Amino acid sequence: MAVRVQFENNNEVGVFSKLTNSYCLVAIGGSENFYSVFEAELADTVPVVHVSVAGCRIIGRMMVANKNGLLVPSSTTDTELQHIRNSLPDNVKVQRVEERLSALGNVIACNDYVALVHPDLDKDTEEILADTLDVEVFRQTVAGNVLVGSYTALSNRGGLVHPKTTIQDQDELSSLLQVPLVAGTVNRGSDVVAAGLVVNDWSAFCGMDTTSTEISVIESVFKLNEAKPSAITSTMRASLIDSMS
Amino acid sequence: MSLYNFKKIAVVPTAKDFIDIILSKTQRKTPTVVHKHYKITRIRAFYMRKVKFTQQNFHDRLSRIIQEFPKLDDVHPFYADLMNVLYDKDHYKLGLGQLNTARHLIDNVAKDYVRLLKFGDSLYRCKQLKRAALGRMATIMKRQAANLTYLEQVRQHLSRLPSIDPYTRTIIICGFPNVGKSSFINKITRADVEVQPYAFTTKSLYVGHTDYKYLRWQVIDTPGILDHPLEERNVIEMQAVTALAHLRAAVLYFIDPSEQCGHSIEEQISLFESIKPLFSNKPLIVVLNKMDVLKPEELPEPKRALIEELVATCAKGNIVNADGNSELRTVPVMRTSTLTEEGVQEVKIEACERLLGHRVTEKMRTKKVDGILNRLHVAVPSPRDNKNRPPVIPPQVLAKKEKMDTESRKRKLEREIEIEQGDDYVLDLQKNYSEIAEEERHDPIPEFWEGHNIADYIDPDIFDKLAELEKEEELREAGGMYAVPKIELDETMREIRDLARQIRNKKAALKDESRLVKQSTKPVMPRTSRARERDRSASKLRSQMEQLGVDMADTEEAHFVKSRSRSRSLSAPAKRARLESQSRTRSVSRPARDEQGVKDVAMQRRAKKMAHLAISKKTKKMGLKGEADRFIGTKMPKHLFAGKRGVGKTDRR
Repeated sequence: MAVRVQFENNNEVGVFSKLTNSYCLVAIGGSENFYSVFEAELADTVPVVHVSVAGCRIIGRMMVANKNGLLVPSSTTDTELQHIRNSLPDNVKVQRVEERLSALGNVIACNDYVALVHPDLDKDTEEILADTLDVEVFRQTVAGNVLVGSYTALSNRGGLVHPKTTIQDQDELSSLLQVPLVAGTVNRGSDVVAAGLVVNDWSAFCGMDTTSTEISVIESVFKLNEAKPSAITSTMRASLIDSMS
Repeated sequence: MSLYNFKKIAVVPTAKDFIDIILSKTQRKTPTVVHKHYKITRIRAFYMRKVKFTQQNFHDRLSRIIQEFPKLDDVHPFYADLMNVLYDKDHYKLGLGQLNTARHLIDNVAKDYVRLLKFGDSLYRCKQLKRAALGRMATIMKRQAANLTYLEQVRQHLSRLPSIDPYTRTIIICGFPNVGKSSFINKITRADVEVQPYAFTTKSLYVGHTDYKYLRWQVIDTPGILDHPLEERNVIEMQAVTALAHLRAAVLYFIDPSEQCGHSIEEQISLFESIKPLFSNKPLIVVLNKMDVLKPEELPEPKRALIEELVATCAKGNIVNADGNSELRTVPVMRTSTLTEEGVQEVKIEACERLLGHRVTEKMRTKKVDGILNRLHVAVPSPRDNKNRPPVIPPQVLAKKEKMDTESRKRKLEREIEIEQGDDYVLDLQKNYSEIAEEERHDPIPEFWEGHNIADYIDPDIFDKLAELEKEEELREAGGMYAVPKIELDETMREIRDLARQIRNKKAALKDESRLVKQSTKPVMPRTSRARERDRSASKLRSQMEQLGVDMADTEEAHFVKSRSRSRSLSAPAKRARLESQSRTRSVSRPARDEQGVKDVAMQRRAKKMAHLAISKKTKKMGLKGEADRFIGTKMPKHLFAGKRGVGKTDRR
């Protein structure tokens, strides 16, 4: 099920949270409304942890994570790092990287097996990424954008990419990632899909503005309900055409 | 969001109010005082300003009205036609046109009178010209009275029109009066249209919204239509016709086979035939309503034949969609009962499906879809290696899904805790440190301690190292490394110690004493130190030393002062001027004023005495307390109070 949430009246939930298959990180906000949406949905199975990076709340864009590990930028303070280590399970490797492109969430998109990275990412960071998160790494762009992390939302079951990605690009990315891909939007037409959506293998959280057509695409491509991704080209096709043009 | 929102048009005041508003505004916002002895240019300017200001306000207000009302040529044809039906296009255009003329007339009046005012030669004439100008403007507005009332009524009606979006997915319900159209819309939306058992309960268009296939659908309930020529139709019917004619929507034509509506099946079918042109290029469904009352099979023979004939023509494909649009060729005939809700959802679904299909083919034909084709594509990966990449879903989640259990939650949410505690709530980050023992979890660890980053000193083996050190220490202790050797004290040593203690005690006592003597802790003013007489001398030193028991017998010749030349040279010793470093003058505190320019203490004393005498003379004469007592020598000095005053000399002379 995809859940609609807002972080302090802001629809970019992917900026303020990070969701993986073994834990969930949530920014520290003014109230617990946002946290509790995640808590209610996930806390029975995986830890849901309050986190900040360098005192900021934009944790989703600053770090990159999957079930095996977590990379944080060099601006993370020691206390924050200690807090993350204390809160996460022992088998999750937490690593701080010295990377010039410090918004790691924007330059890296990954699931538990494959990662797409910004073409200019440091060689060392790429190695650390492959070791810590245990992923294959590919340097790629999405619809001509180098910020692959901002324009791709990924899980092990599917992916949503920038709405302007061509069919050839989608096929190429899909064969790299080995998951079905769809080009789409969130938050009533926003193309920064990773900012408007966090997703893991069994749940998804998107911004409050997301329309029901967008939700239906998200649910079917990430296989959150019974629908298969192929539904987008068959049963939902008419509604999609009518709502988009 | 809506494209057409007529709710924001400003109120149109009646002619009387209009004039009152503008004139009172002129009165409030222009100067009001003018005198006849003013220069004539000033008087003319005063009245010209009033005339121009009034004209400008009339102009602005009228322009706003003209601009805010929708232009029939600019709005969607549906709204243009609807407004024609409701308010009469000619009347509406004429009304706005006349306001426009009135605006021009007022502008011209103002122009003329401003020109005339330039020749006004007295205050009275200028004033009369102004009166005439405002009067003529008011008369022009008064003539618009009927017009303004009409426009106000139009505005009120417009603001209550339902907000119909002519471009979105729409379903229109039509048919004879009283066949169950409003009941149907009430069933599929939450529009809550009034339903009564008489004809023409619905007198205008009503809008409701429903959801189907993740999309919103606009459902429009129209008033009933009677079967007569277009020219004879009344305003209520015409609204329905307008909606049918201009909205690209799915049409549900309702037929009441039970004839409870008061119209025979023949009439209803003939209406269907006569308004058929309105259904062209639209998905159409014929709905046989009120199935709970009478099924078509139970009808008497001639009527049943009519229905069957209708069904047959519909199924065969109709003449309506002549352009060969295949999916619209056949028209389904469906049965519903809004009372039992039988067939209602089926009709809705069928209508939505047909309209959606129709819209999609239209869009495909106009190439609008090309831009989004990539979003309708699902890229399915071709396997590139033999590695298996399964999803990682915890078994609890799967079990929960299996049980279809979405609500069971034992956990108390952070939000609930926050609400419970109110302002006392503090986010506890350490609460969930499951690895750390409960009592150690909340130990405060500063980030920095005495300038050191704690994290730099964290050592995972610290406990092992500590244990090792402790063990070593224990060994040492057992080996007697820390046993303190006993020190033996002999007689002299004890004596020295005793003496030292006495000295220490004495010192402390002296320290305390001096502290007590020096009672004042205030800073010492240099003035007092200056006034002190010199009290150090050789004889004093000698006597003091003798008192203390020092033998001063052979010191007649000794001089205790440091030998240096007696004469004080006032100029500083000549020094070589430094080249590199610039000298800075040190600030020196200035001596008190009564000490400045005084040679010695005696002279100072004398000067003080003289000053005191002078002051005391004055104070005694005036009966003053001291020199600071206020005293006024002359109450009214002549030079300040005599003579004429010129302009601006009241305060300062």
